[in-house]
Amino acid sequence: MLEAFVFATIFCGFFGIILKKNLVMKIISMDVMSTGVIAYYVLVASRDGLFTPIISDGTNVTYSDPVPQAVILTGIVIGFSIQCVMLVGVMKLARDNPTLESNEIEKSNTP
Amino acid sequence: MTTITIAWIALPFFLGFTIYLLPKLDRILALCVAFVSAGYALQLFVEQSPLTLQLLDHFGVTLIVDQLSGYFILTNALVTAAVILYCWHSDKTAFFYAQAIILHGSINAAFACADFISLYVALEVSGIAAFLLIAYPRTDRSIWVALRYLFISNTAMLFYLVGAVLAYQTNHSFSFASLRGAPPEALALIFLGLLVKGGIFVSGLWLPLTHSESETPVSAMLSGVVVKAGVYPLVRCALMVDELDPLIRIFGVGTALLGVFYAVFEKDAKRMLAFHTVSQLGFILAAPVVGGFYALTHGLVKSALFLIAGALPSRNFKELQHKPLSTTLWIALVIASFSISGFPLLSGFGAKVLTTKNLLPWQAIAMNVAALGTAISFAKFIFLPHKADGEEVVKPGFWPAAILLLGSLFIANIAYYEAYTLKNIVKPLATIGLGWLAYLLIFKHSVLKLPRVVEQFEHLIGGMSLMLLLLFWMVMA
Repeated sequence: MLEAFVFATIFCGFFGIILKKNLVMKIISMDVMSTGVIAYYVLVASRDGLFTPIISDGTNVTYSDPVPQAVILTGIVIGFSIQCVMLVGVMKLARDNPTLESNEIEKSNTP
Repeated sequence: MTTITIAWIALPFFLGFTIYLLPKLDRILALCVAFVSAGYALQLFVEQSPLTLQLLDHFGVTLIVDQLSGYFILTNALVTAAVILYCWHSDKTAFFYAQAIILHGSINAAFACADFISLYVALEVSGIAAFLLIAYPRTDRSIWVALRYLFISNTAMLFYLVGAVLAYQTNHSFSFASLRGAPPEALALIFLGLLVKGGIFVSGLWLPLTHSESETPVSAMLSGVVVKAGVYPLVRCALMVDELDPLIRIFGVGTALLGVFYAVFEKDAKRMLAFHTVSQLGFILAAPVVGGFYALTHGLVKSALFLIAGALPSRNFKELQHKPLSTTLWIALVIASFSISGFPLLSGFGAKVLTTKNLLPWQAIAMNVAALGTAISFAKFIFLPHKADGEEVVKPGFWPAAILLLGSLFIANIAYYEAYTLKNIVKPLATIGLGWLAYLLIFKHSVLKLPRVVEQFEHLIGGMSLMLLLLFWMVMA
């Protein structure tokens, strides 16, 4: 069930990238998509259990897998920095194309 | 050797940021990094056995360096050195050199790693650095081209991440070897990411616009090495997991034919070179065992050709046919064109022969057609008019860079000197002759213009979903 929601998020983001006309909306759609991917990693990590794997005197409980969570931290940072860089690019473009319609920008910038 | 490897991977990033602190030393530091990489690659050839590093535990970072990665690293080093020499006397700021070196370092990391997550990090860093290099002139067009590149590569890499976690789920390891026994959807998603990033088959159609619209040194770097960061993992996977070998070969053949088909009909010099990159990536994938040598040859030749194309008086072939070049420039152009069409005495010949030897029977006809197409498309360059006092507007750094790249082509020739048998020599000569004939009789006068509709941004993103379906179907079958 949760898996279905996660995949729905990823596809919402993907179709948003295709269907939205505004460049900022496209970038936000990409963010939605990457949120879905991150959620999927967390879901995979928690498949065996929900407890944080920290050494303690506690009883033997089901621990979640720390590796995917550690890995997706890198992914979050990279996704964040890519969005920053892209938004700076969009800001520069916005000076000459205030509407930010991607078709218009593409038409005037392809030879 | 372990320490050297880790120091070598960290060095470009360290020096890249040092360039900001010492902007006066920018070129020298950048060139030093390229030389260190070249030295490291040569060291790999001396040492025969592959070096495998397991940092942290079995789910941690895995590095594998052997001769295959040695070829790719050497390509990277030589192309970076040539690009820096080309920019030596230009007014590029320290920012440009810092980005070039960070790009160099991230690609080196991609050539050394053998697990999906280090690869993801390396590819994304190279994506950001390439974005900054393409957008360096800060015109509207360059920003749009760069934005489009980052958008496409990032979307593809998100699919790749989902695939990586699916592969992790089956084997609890992110290493390339965990692809064995992974579910088909994991394979399809990972391959989609790598195919888009490497510019292969239909999903590589973002490549021509990006490579042709960037500045001369940047497109030399992009076409020479950056796309190979996406191709190398595919080659490595094909070598590590035998089941994937046929799939990679199919994509190799498809890419070689598609790229060359566009290149033959292209009327713009830089776009022709970019489409030709697509086709040559197919040659690398068509015979994964010897892909390394082909990648070296192609990287050297393509960056030399892009640097030369930047010095031509026009980009349009129609106009070029009426403006004679200076003979020196023409000779450089002809050496590069001959090497890429597989003429003996240049390393393109050895690479072509070696690839042909390692093809499976069903690939042979298609690859010969692709080689013929190469000869036809480069006849466009060879038959340009030239005279001793023609137009020459080369940048001051052009000749050192061109001599480095073309000289390496001659030297790389000795890596496979066994190729020089009569039978091997006759075949490429016949192919080239046939190609020239076809060019002079048919293609020189063709006015067919292929539509560019598939290269629109939204169509490229949408094409990814179709590609995903195709991959899924291929993996299931």
